[in-house]
Amino acid sequence: MALSGETSIQARTGDPDVALAAAGDSSAFERLYRAHVVRIHNLTRRMLGGQEADEVTQDIFVRTWQKLAQFRGESAFSTWLHRLAVNVVIERRRSFAIQRGRMSDDVAALDGLSVAPARADLTVDMEHAIDQLPPGAREIFVLHDVEGYKHREIAVLLDIATGTSKRQLHRARMLLRGYLSGD
Amino acid sequence: MHTEFTDQLSDYLDDDLSSVERDTVEQHLRGCAECRAVLNDLKRVVAEAQTLPPRPPQAELWNGIADEIKGTGLGTKGTGVGARHHPTPVPFRLAFTMPQLAAAAVILVAVSAGLAWRIADGAARARSAVIVASGAAQPGDNPGGASAAVPVERDAPLSPSIVQVAYADAQYDAAVADLEKALKLGRGRLDASTIAVVEHNLQIIDHAIAQAREALAADPANSYLSGHLVDARRRKLDLLRRATELTSETD
Repeated sequence: MALSGETSIQARTGDPDVALAAAGDSSAFERLYRAHVVRIHNLTRRMLGGQEADEVTQDIFVRTWQKLAQFRGESAFSTWLHRLAVNVVIERRRSFAIQRGRMSDDVAALDGLSVAPARADLTVDMEHAIDQLPPGAREIFVLHDVEGYKHREIAVLLDIATGTSKRQLHRARMLLRGYLSGD
Repeated sequence: MHTEFTDQLSDYLDDDLSSVERDTVEQHLRGCAECRAVLNDLKRVVAEAQTLPPRPPQAELWNGIADEIKGTGLGTKGTGVGARHHPTPVPFRLAFTMPQLAAAAVILVAVSAGLAWRIADGAARARSAVIVASGAAQPGDNPGGASAAVPVERDAPLSPSIVQVAYADAQYDAAVADLEKALKLGRGRLDASTIAVVEHNLQIIDHAIAQAREALAADPANSYLSGHLVDARRRKLDLLRRATELTSETD
């Protein structure tokens, strides 16, 4: 006997809230939101900066609600949501970049990072330091070093060469090293 | 600094070099303290990035989302996929209802009360300032419930910057259980919107407790996280206490 859509998703994901939300249950969707909002907000804040993070996080969850019917349960819901979030963030970044004329693979664009005085507590400064990175370098650093994406995945997501991703990552790390050590 | 080598250090760290390139870099590193120092700095940067603690959003974002998704016609259970339509996303506002603002005020009052608080007669009173985590959760600990960290009183002098944290504090658990029981008994005296606001805020606090505990399990020595956890637990206790007081005030 074929499973209904709701039951089928639940069977595959093991999460009744995903199936309920896909069927239109906003209370179940709120529970999903509560379970995932911190990770999604951290992603948006680190990739786009604090000013954009709240609005983009909301946009991501609204789109998630709209696209839930397309979720087939073939991957974990958290993986599906995270990928959707990354795509929304990248889309948003592109529109910012086009507006500001900053869409470039030119690593020379990374040279404007200001240097902070040396501090003992790296953890405290790290979030601020990431926020200081030029947008392209920040995007790749967050995806690779914070979120664990591979260069080949980043290259596909950002439509750039793998080598460009590697160069940008190295520049980002070197800038962060200089920032955090006060060099 | 030898840029022809330092330029390869990220690939070296990520194991993205060929064996020949790797041997060449390692040979250079053996004789170059400056490049070794750069490599160590890069390792620190990567390690820091991989262990960044989660930080919850400072604003409540759900209300704006709820407003949006209600506009799609899927705000009620059972509406079904066929009824879904997709409006163009519009700029969001952070919206709060009056009861939510009132509840937020309750929480703010609770927070401003500081760390000096009392659970039962003459019992647990926080003394020193910041916190250090004592380790992973104990068996039977309820992630979303009442068994996370609270400051406990110690007779022995503590470091000025350290307060011990216990993960299974029986007094705290008992106090929360008592208040939850009292609230359950008295909830009939509260109007539905007040109950909804209290339950909503308890959900938020429980979620914050669970998030802080998860992060602390990965980084037990992080004093910011420990403080966040203690703060969240205190907020839960105070919110329960205030809600229970409301039930008796309406008698």
